This record gives sequence, C-alpha cells and structure tokens, in this order.
Amino acid sequence: MSTARVEHTNAATGLSPHPERATMEGRNKIIGFWLFLGAETVMFACFFGVYLALRNSSLDGPTTQELYHIPMVAVSTLILLFSSLTSVLGVVGMQQHNYKKTMFWFGVTVLLGASFLALEIYEFFVYVGEGHTFTSSAFGSAFYTLLGTHGAHVLFGVCWITGLLFQARKRGLTQEMAPKFFVASLYWHFIDVVWVFIFTVVYLMGKVG
Amino acid sequence: MEAKAQQSQPRTEKQAGGFKYVVSFGLMLVLTGLAFAAVVMNIVPQQWIIPMILGLATVQVFMQLFSFMHLHLKKEATIVSFMFSGIFFGLVCAVGVAFLS
Repeated sequence: MSTARVEHTNAATGLSPHPERATMEGRNKIIGFWLFLGAETVMFACFFGVYLALRNSSLDGPTTQELYHIPMVAVSTLILLFSSLTSVLGVVGMQQHNYKKTMFWFGVTVLLGASFLALEIYEFFVYVGEGHTFTSSAFGSAFYTLLGTHGAHVLFGVCWITGLLFQARKRGLTQEMAPKFFVASLYWHFIDVVWVFIFTVVYLMGKVG
Repeated sequence: MEAKAQQSQPRTEKQAGGFKYVVSFGLMLVLTGLAFAAVVMNIVPQQWIIPMILGLATVQVFMQLFSFMHLHLKKEATIVSFMFSGIFFGLVCAVGVAFLS
C-alpha cells in the first residue's frame, strides 16, 4: 500500500496536522466513504418512508402512542450523542498525533456504542413481550426493519472500531492508520445522524400521533 | 520491527483542538432536549409540533455534518454535492413511499 504515499513522515519532524489526508490513499478513502454515506442515506430514507406509511397499521397490536418508552429512548439518545462527541475527540487526538488520547476516546466510543445496543436490545425485549414483533403487523415489520438495520449498523461500527484499536496497538498511529480512524468516525457520526431522525420520526412523532 | 507511535507530543493544543466540538455537542443536547420537551410536556400547539421537531432534527443533522464530520462547504464541494443529492433522493423516496397509499 506504500505506493500511494505522497509524503513521508519522520518520527521527529514533519508531522502533518491532518494525517488522514497526508496520503493519496487517505484522501481517496475519505471521498469514497462519503460516496458510500450518500448511498446509505438513500437506503435509510427508504426505510423511513416505509415506516411512515405503515406506522398506523398496527392491526390489533399496541399502537405507537401506547408502546414507546420515551425515557429509555432519551437515555439511548444521550448515549449515542455522547459517543459521537467522543469519536470526534478521538479524531482530534489522532490529528494531534496523540496515541493515548486517540485510543482512549475511541475506546470510550466503543463502550458507549455497546451500552446503546444493550439498551436497545432490552427495549425490543420489552416490546416483544407486549406483543409487538416483526410479524405481528405491518407496523411491526416496518419498525423492526428500520430500527434493526440501524442497530446492525451500530454493532458493525462497534466491531470495526474495536478492530482498529487492536490494529493501532500493534502498529501505532501511522499515516496508514489515520484515515481508517477518520473514516470510522465518519461512519459513527452517520449512524448518530440516522438516530436523530429515528428518535424524531419514530418515537417523538409516535408519541404525538 | 518497532511500530510504536510517538507519545511525546506536548499537550499545548489539547483544549484548543477539542473545545469547539464540545460547544457543538452542547448545542446538540439543547436541540435534542427541546424536541423531547416539546413532545413530552405538551407545550407546543398540535399543528406545530411535528414541523418543529423535524426542523430541530434538521438543524442538528447539519451541525453533525459540518462540525463533527469536518465537512467543508467550499473546499469539499464535490463531497457536499454527493451528500446533498443523497439527501434529496432520500427525501423524495421517504415522502413518496410514505404517501404511497
């Protein structure tokens, strides 16, 4: 992969302020990832559209007003929002070539992501107990498709960043690792953005009716 | 073969680098809190509440994009156009499917 190196850094001098953009490979990764995020936006938009169309088709199961546990959702939202902040702080640490800071903040991001997932799984457990399942109604299918896909994205992000942390422990904060952390952080912000719309469109609008 | 990273960087810019993101985060908390409060506490008239929370969400998303995700409108015009076309198509799909029946 070193054929893509544009600059060579030296441990003592020439540390670039944006290590993720110091190589051609890094810049290409960032552009490519934004393209991917554009596509993911359209995908999630389709799930939102289906949810909006089917949210009142709850047959004889619980409706949105009866079902949603807003305090739990508020906690989940805070957790994910906070994890978005910690991932930015991790990127800042990476741009400052501060290995410990990068590892710490991304580590916190992983822990927060895992707690979000645990809370969401518990929430689904409660809903299934109340009769709201994937197959109980069109509303159920639309709900779990949207939220489940989002949750799968969070799980993937947690695994991805964990993998990066293990890799960085072995290789250090090189010009090859920098774009990886940056791109993983972009992914993490994206899933937080999707969650902002989920709590607004699904939960808050569900409460309003 | 040693691949350990430099840990000797002096921490002069530690706060300067991270502070603006904490400020952005604080604003996002306020926007989120407003949205939750508006719904849970019934302080906003019925017709206005859905446009209001959608508006709050949109503002927060733009903050995420331009602050957290380091998106620069002028320098990264190509990327911005990718994202906005994605968002545009996404909106069309979402609204279209929502009103399909």
